[in-house]
Amino acid sequence: MADEEKSMRLSRRNFIKIVGVAGAALASRRFLGGHTAAANRPRVELPELPAPPANADADVLLRMQEELARALKKPPSERRWVMVIDLRKCVGCHACTIACVAENKLPPGVVYRPVIEKEIGTYPNVSRLFVPRPCMQCEKPPCTPVCPVNATYTNEEGVVVVDYEQCIGCRACITACPYGARTSDFGYTYTEETPVADGLILGRERADDYERASNFEYGKGYDRPGDHGSPIGNARKCHFCLHRLHEGLLPACVTTCIGRATLFGDANDPDSLVAELISKPNVTVLKEELGTKPRVYYLV
Amino acid sequence: MKSELNLKKVIYGLGAIALAFGLWGFYLRFFVGERLVNYGSYVVWGLWVAMYLFYGGISTGSMMIASLDYLFGIRLFKGSGKIALWAAVVTMPAALVTIAMDLGHMERVWKVFLQPNLLSVMAQLVWGYSIFMVVLLAALWLVIRLESGKQDARPWLRFVMGVGLFLSIFLSGGVGALLGVNASREAWHTAMLPAQFPVFSLLSGCALMLTLLGWFAPADEKRPQQLRALSIGLLILLLVKTYYLWVDYSQALYAGTPVASEAVTLVLFGRYGWAFWLLQLGLGMVFPIAFLLSRRFQQSPFWSGVVGVAVLVGIAVARANIIFPMLSIPELEGLAQAFTGPHLNYDYYPSLMEWAVTLGVTGGAALAWLIGVDYLPFLKIKTQEVAQ
Amino acid sequence: MTDTSSSQTSTQPTMSRREFLRNAGAAGFASAFLGLTPALALTQEGGAESGAIPIHSVENQIYSVCLQCNTICGIKVKLLDGVAVKIDGNPYSPWTMNPHLDYETPFVQTGTVEGAICPKGQAGLQTVYDPYRVVKVLKRKPGTPRGANQWITISFEQALNEIVEGGDLFGEGKVPGLRESYALTDAKVAGEMAAAVKKILAEKDEEKKKGLVEEFKQTFAAYLDTLIDPDHPDFGPKNNQVVFNWGRMKGGRSDFITRFFRDGFGTVNTHGHTTVCQGSLYFTGKAMSEKLVDGKWNGGAKFYWQGDIRNSEFIIFVGASPFEGNYGPPLRVPKITEGSVNHGVKFVVVDPRLSKTAGKAWKWLPIQPGSEGAMAMALIRWVLDNERYDADYLSAVNKAAAALKGNPTWTQAAWLVKLDEEGQPTTFLRASEIGLREKEPRPLSTDPEKTYDFDYFVTLRNGIPVAFDPYAESEADAVFGDLWVDGVTLGGFKVKSGLQIIADSARERTIEEWAELCGLDAKDLVEVAREFTSHGKRACADIHRGVSQHTNGFYNVLAWYTLNALIGNYDYAGGLIKATTYDYTGGKKGQPYPLGKMAGGKMAPFGLSIIRHDAKYQESTLYTSLPKDKRYPAKRNWYPLASDVYQEVIPSIGDAYPYPVKALFLYMGSPVYSLPAGHKLIEVLTDPKKLPLFIAFDITIGETSMFADYIFPDTAYLERWEFNGSHPSVPFKVQGIRQPAVAPVVEEVEVYGQKMPLNMEAVLLGIAERLNLPNFGQNGLGEGIPLIHQDDFYLRMVANLAFGEKEDGSDAVPDADDEELRVFETARRHLPSSVFDVQRWKTIVGDALWRKAVYVLNRGGRFQNFSKAYKGEQVTNKYGQMVNIYQEKTYGIKDAMTGKHLYGYAKYIPAALDVTGKPVEDGPDFNLRLITHREIMQTKSRTSGNYWLNALLSENTVIMNVQDVERLGLKDGERVKIVSASNPDGVWNLYNGTKVPMIGKIKAVQGMRPGVVSFALGFGHFAYGGVDFEIDGIRVQGDPRRTRGFHANAAMRVDPYLGNTPLLDPVGGSAVFYDTMVKLERA
Ligand SMILES: Nc1nc2c(c(=O)[nH]1)N[C@H]1C(S)=C(S)[C@@H](COP(=O)(O)OP(=O)(O)OC[C@H]3O[C@@H](n4cnc5c(=O)[nH]c(N)nc54)[C@H](O)[C@@H]3O)O[C@H]1N2
Ligand SMILES: Nc1nc2c(c(=O)[nH]1)N[C@H]1C(S)=C(S)[C@@H](COP(=O)(O)OP(=O)(O)OC[C@H]3O[C@@H](n4cnc5c(=O)[nH]c(N)nc54)[C@H](O)[C@@H]3O)O[C@H]1N2
Ligand code: SF4
Ligand code: SF4
Ligand code: SF4
Ligand code: SF4
Ligand code: SF4
Ligand SMILES: [Mo]
Repeated sequence: MADEEKSMRLSRRNFIKIVGVAGAALASRRFLGGHTAAANRPRVELPELPAPPANADADVLLRMQEELARALKKPPSERRWVMVIDLRKCVGCHACTIACVAENKLPPGVVYRPVIEKEIGTYPNVSRLFVPRPCMQCEKPPCTPVCPVNATYTNEEGVVVVDYEQCIGCRACITACPYGARTSDFGYTYTEETPVADGLILGRERADDYERASNFEYGKGYDRPGDHGSPIGNARKCHFCLHRLHEGLLPACVTTCIGRATLFGDANDPDSLVAELISKPNVTVLKEELGTKPRVYYLV
Repeated sequence: MKSELNLKKVIYGLGAIALAFGLWGFYLRFFVGERLVNYGSYVVWGLWVAMYLFYGGISTGSMMIASLDYLFGIRLFKGSGKIALWAAVVTMPAALVTIAMDLGHMERVWKVFLQPNLLSVMAQLVWGYSIFMVVLLAALWLVIRLESGKQDARPWLRFVMGVGLFLSIFLSGGVGALLGVNASREAWHTAMLPAQFPVFSLLSGCALMLTLLGWFAPADEKRPQQLRALSIGLLILLLVKTYYLWVDYSQALYAGTPVASEAVTLVLFGRYGWAFWLLQLGLGMVFPIAFLLSRRFQQSPFWSGVVGVAVLVGIAVARANIIFPMLSIPELEGLAQAFTGPHLNYDYYPSLMEWAVTLGVTGGAALAWLIGVDYLPFLKIKTQEVAQ
Repeated sequence: MTDTSSSQTSTQPTMSRREFLRNAGAAGFASAFLGLTPALALTQEGGAESGAIPIHSVENQIYSVCLQCNTICGIKVKLLDGVAVKIDGNPYSPWTMNPHLDYETPFVQTGTVEGAICPKGQAGLQTVYDPYRVVKVLKRKPGTPRGANQWITISFEQALNEIVEGGDLFGEGKVPGLRESYALTDAKVAGEMAAAVKKILAEKDEEKKKGLVEEFKQTFAAYLDTLIDPDHPDFGPKNNQVVFNWGRMKGGRSDFITRFFRDGFGTVNTHGHTTVCQGSLYFTGKAMSEKLVDGKWNGGAKFYWQGDIRNSEFIIFVGASPFEGNYGPPLRVPKITEGSVNHGVKFVVVDPRLSKTAGKAWKWLPIQPGSEGAMAMALIRWVLDNERYDADYLSAVNKAAAALKGNPTWTQAAWLVKLDEEGQPTTFLRASEIGLREKEPRPLSTDPEKTYDFDYFVTLRNGIPVAFDPYAESEADAVFGDLWVDGVTLGGFKVKSGLQIIADSARERTIEEWAELCGLDAKDLVEVAREFTSHGKRACADIHRGVSQHTNGFYNVLAWYTLNALIGNYDYAGGLIKATTYDYTGGKKGQPYPLGKMAGGKMAPFGLSIIRHDAKYQESTLYTSLPKDKRYPAKRNWYPLASDVYQEVIPSIGDAYPYPVKALFLYMGSPVYSLPAGHKLIEVLTDPKKLPLFIAFDITIGETSMFADYIFPDTAYLERWEFNGSHPSVPFKVQGIRQPAVAPVVEEVEVYGQKMPLNMEAVLLGIAERLNLPNFGQNGLGEGIPLIHQDDFYLRMVANLAFGEKEDGSDAVPDADDEELRVFETARRHLPSSVFDVQRWKTIVGDALWRKAVYVLNRGGRFQNFSKAYKGEQVTNKYGQMVNIYQEKTYGIKDAMTGKHLYGYAKYIPAALDVTGKPVEDGPDFNLRLITHREIMQTKSRTSGNYWLNALLSENTVIMNVQDVERLGLKDGERVKIVSASNPDGVWNLYNGTKVPMIGKIKAVQGMRPGVVSFALGFGHFAYGGVDFEIDGIRVQGDPRRTRGFHANAAMRVDPYLGNTPLLDPVGGSAVFYDTMVKLERA
């Protein structure tokens, strides 16, 4: 790691702290009317999507990506991102879990989307159920009001986000989440226990670039330094892959869903696949009784 | 008198050892980091949060006791107020330090003051405790003035103590609220929970005073009376607490729904069930209640102190038993097996570093209290004052 | 530092990861100045970074092919600053998109489009960037025994010199070098010898055979010292004493090693791992596809069929779990989930374990392991008894008749088969035998100048014999025969129809009796049979390892494929289909680089292979050299119908049967770990007397390579070339290319004056340079065409692929446009010039095809469009041949153990027989049947260092039914040791002082057949970076995460007759995983 870069990063952090102190005049953002959104920020030029294959219905992935492009043309506050997970199609492959880990460079102990496996029935009448559990992006999230510093909040697109530079790591939000959807980053790397042994074998230091590389979460380059910089020390959670959405890609767990069980889109778009699916009677949400109003729906 | 001195020496010694152990813990916490803890993403809050609540309870409880002297001017407790106040002053930082250790980004605590979300119970508590700390210091300052004979401090002191009492009730309730607002945690989410906490605080305060007075106050004629009064108070509070425990647990168990009963079952019969039966119930409740009921021992200052300590240990375990088991129940069944990794565990037992820090903080607070009482002139308990 | 990164766009090729970070930092800065709180600046709302994530641009992506398991999904490798940081699905590949993008889709549009891959595919980074990868040549430290795990690093040159020249390399005495085994170098002599040997083998008369051997010795007197054993010229030359054995090998590399070992070095001993995998599927497939060539059954393809399940309405998965393994999840799952949920497709899973697939099935049939054949017989019986078969299809005896009914394939259902005295079926009746039609001279396919006598076959048409040619195409020659012929005698021959033979076989037992054998309910079987025959051709039975890896594997497979034949679903959408690939070798006329023919010179290897495949015991000089009463059983089994018999290679070396071996090369395989009873191999591998030189190519020190004398590092799958072929369930014609995507982590070496990464090719090139092999070097590809770098070979393959298969070039891919060319180069800017050098590449491919090659490489291979895959109800890429449900060739083989004829048709054979056909009975103590399965998150070795995957399942378990757990007085979660009759200690003895016990935790479930226990593959490693080892005197610590769980292959039954080999299927060659009885001991 270049020293220059490191000092850069440190000075950036310190600087932000100072700015933060100055900006303390703003006091509680909640009292100032929540989070103003830069609604007119420059829009990404989305690449043209490929045409569907001739004489065939396109893969549902392609269809959803087109719908995504459509949604991105609307002002953010008019989008309503929802995820629909068809439990009949989920085959418990855990590809989504790992795609998410890889996409967001999640360290050991941090997981946004585990898949819970269940066995139902008694021999010989048995079946298996797999329940992927991303963040529900609750419309009424119990996790945000408990945050002492407003580091976690619902953004203008309805996604519950964590501001890594704001978060103090108190884990109140983790306790509050009824779905276990938040985990804390304790600063591990997967390769850290492996030997260096450079010159004999590849060794850790030549091997760990991929997990230290920038994760692009929230459109930011959070690489993984050795010191205690965010997101280490923070609560972390699924963010519907906002950084991908804004560049026209579906969430990583969606594109890699081999069962095509995880579907995604803008529920405010009446022609979208998700809008169609969540109007069906076989829709359910987890722990409905809590009234958290998840934006992640399950089909059974 | 002699045994008292020995006791003090022992406590000085133990305190110093604990502190040294604690310094090692702090070193690890700062230079190796939070990864050495055993709490994590599932059992989110561990020993430190429990101890934070515990110290906070003692501090606010001590404030309540101190108010007997300085606010309500109850004669019997005249002169014991400063001991209680000093206890509150040393335990509050202990609470704050402990909870600070628990933060992923300690260096950002300032944000809670400058960019708070005041609707968050966590923020309210930080603010509350901080104000409380200021109030404690103000009270201490006024007491110093008072001790130096400046009687004009008295009305101010009364006022400050009033604010302090209010805060201590609010804050102890707030601790309950911190847990209680988690709607999905069945066992926490009862209005009873916040309501119980002031009682717990007072109980803590009582217990601590019992120990402090029993072990360290001059053996004048007032002491037996004070001890008796405290003992009776303690007994009542213990019975109330027992009642709360009964209500809580029976409710949960009768309900029978797994979410409600699981945590209780875990407390009673889980891996650390022994802590409930032996420490919380046996040492912390049955023993003191039985003890206090037999008047024979009531007068022994040493045994009063022991009872106080027993109750405190019981409370500490009770705090832990409120927090950990509820967190040890997966939000969703099978979550623990779905993905494994460090700090993704529903089975919590504090790590060595957690113990070290906790012991260090306890040792530090004990030493601070003793040093204060021994060397700060205004804290010297003057016999003649008692004789007044 | 006041500008923000909003001006940076993803198309800026030079933006490195570090610069990017810096810019992102600057954005934080700037927005902070603007008075936003840090919170806003640091979330997407800041907006400055939008559009700037470099990995979303094709400039930072290289399309390739996964090899985490063998499903070969198309992938795109996303690079950040030259480091692979994310892997996703290549949307052009039919594996990851359903359906995939049309091939002509502009490449630049695909940067943000990605298909689905499985968790192993996602975790591939951790295989490539495995800290335990070997990067230099490791040599066993002289003075330490094999397996001691003490190594020294030596230079590439020294290593090559040592293995070529031999010498006292380890202080244990002289080790023969390769040069010594490179004995016969004259291709012409080799060819003559081969012809003479062929004659010897063909001679039936034993005396004459001896005479021919003597004659041979005289003819080749000058060359006898080049032979292994002049008394057994059929063993071939000493060159055969060098063996190349591989585990996972794909096209391109397979051509490279064939070029080196067979055509260059001249050994016949190049053997793969097919039989550990799904051997009997392949070799039953081969037997079922044998064609009549020049009057003989020949030209069967080593292949098998799977279902075109995208179009099936009903599927029976037998011993196959496409949700977890099975070539494989990304490819097959969406068809099943979307089919069953959106279109009401029903599927049945026949598996003792409630696999994830079974867990979602319409019906789970927890069959008794080994009785798969019995179940097929039950279904066959019901279909025949109830006349639910496709009579039109079955009655067509030849191609013309099949074509009349629109069928691309046909069977022998109506052919007449002669019976022996006991009424057992033998060979087909020939028209000349009953005077129906004379033999007819026809030109030989190999030499049209010469002829052979074609003899017509016979069927009954309404009771009257009709002669036919199976391959007749003209409508006039179309013949339909009677399906049911029994009790008929023609010209003195008792005959039956093929279908009658099968029916008799199925009627050996009632459906209830079959069901009883399977431990299933007859009602269920009938229901399944009814469904199976209720969807026309849109139904199939899709089978895999659970059917083939039994001692009766061959016949199980044959029975299930016969069942499919009854509804004639071959080549139909929704029925059984086969894989089809684009030729990259230049085998098609007009292709620019006919690599098979391009050689400065070529050897003609001949002789008997060490695994005795493709050879008949009874024809060998070994057989005749034995006294008559000592001939049966043979010392070891022979494999006339199978090849790549993995479990035979090392034990045969150990037994020096048929001859001793001097050197073994092992490539990307770990037989010790992967084979049943693999622990037995260690005894051979650790003994330099049995195996003087053992060389391994590996990416880490694995469970088998740890016993090697030399480990050569290899380039991992993201660093190298391969041409991946296809799988049977893919209806499209495809050829995915694995190409260098990241800079190799291995050392760079020099061969033939060329720099290149140290890998398998570099080693073979280096040996070729030293031995001066004629098909390598400056004129390796013919006069003036060098083969001095792997790219010389592989890039020409790309060119062939780009050109296509039509002589006139009309099948060529389009040219890459300028933008595509630019992106192509930009995306490879991080590769060292020894790997990627535009000029070098362009020169090899040739200007004319360069843009086309780029077009292919950008897309990660060549893939036929979806719209081309189906024609009406059928697939475009057809098998289009006879489906041999009665096999004369198979019948013609006499078992090397018993001397008896094999059955040529679907027949129930009980499981768990030893190689001599005796039941293995271990007694009532061993009360649980051990099987094995894969979890989706692990493969055998490759993924054990993938820490992301470990987080999903850190150890495997002993999976058993709750009833068994209770019955045996055990507890869920309890640790037990797995013990079998052939491994009573329940350990892996590594012969280095270490014994690794097979101990695992019990997982009590409902979803397992009582009496059966299973364990997942991929755990319980005892090398592969999991344990400490020493290099250059420095201790390197192992990572215990890699050794968790257990691997119970060592508990799998050793064949009692062979003693050092697992139970096996003597016909199809399969190594047997599911026929061992074990007991669990509390640990
Ligand atoms: N218990 C149990 N055992 C099984 C099975 C089962 O289901 N259960 N399945 C069986 C099946 S289907 C198969 S196919 C076999 C496979 O068995 P193998 O073909 O023997 O095993 P692989 O895991 O493919 O290859 C293993 C070796 O290749 C090395 N390797 C990995 N990548 C590379 C590379 O890029 N280059 C080189 N040169 N080496 C590399 C690894 O380090 C390892 O030593 O296993 C079988 N074993
Ligand atoms: N995750 C993963 N996927 C892989 C691989 C991998 O290593 N890991 N390897 C690839 C390779 S090389 C191969 S060959 C394929 C193999 O793919 P499959 O053959 O589909 O997989 P297996 O797990 O070997 O066996 C399939 C099923 O057979 C069941 N089974 C076991 N014993 C019996 C039996 O006696 N009878 C019956 N009817 N069923 C039985 C098992 O429970 C299992 O569910 O998978 C490929 N895909
Ligand atoms: S952990 Fe961070 S996001 Fe969560 S409540 Fe605490 S400060 Fe807020
Ligand atoms: S699932 Fe949990 S983390 Fe996500 S929004 Fe709801 S409460 Fe918050
Ligand atoms: S949406 Fe993105 S962050 Fe959320 S679970 Fe899926 S991959 Fe992970
Ligand atoms: S990738 Fe899809 S099918 Fe696989 S576990 Fe996740 S949701 Fe289920
Ligand atoms: S199934 Fe998974 S591991 Fe296998 S090739 Fe495909 S992506 Fe790779
Ligand atoms: Mo395999």
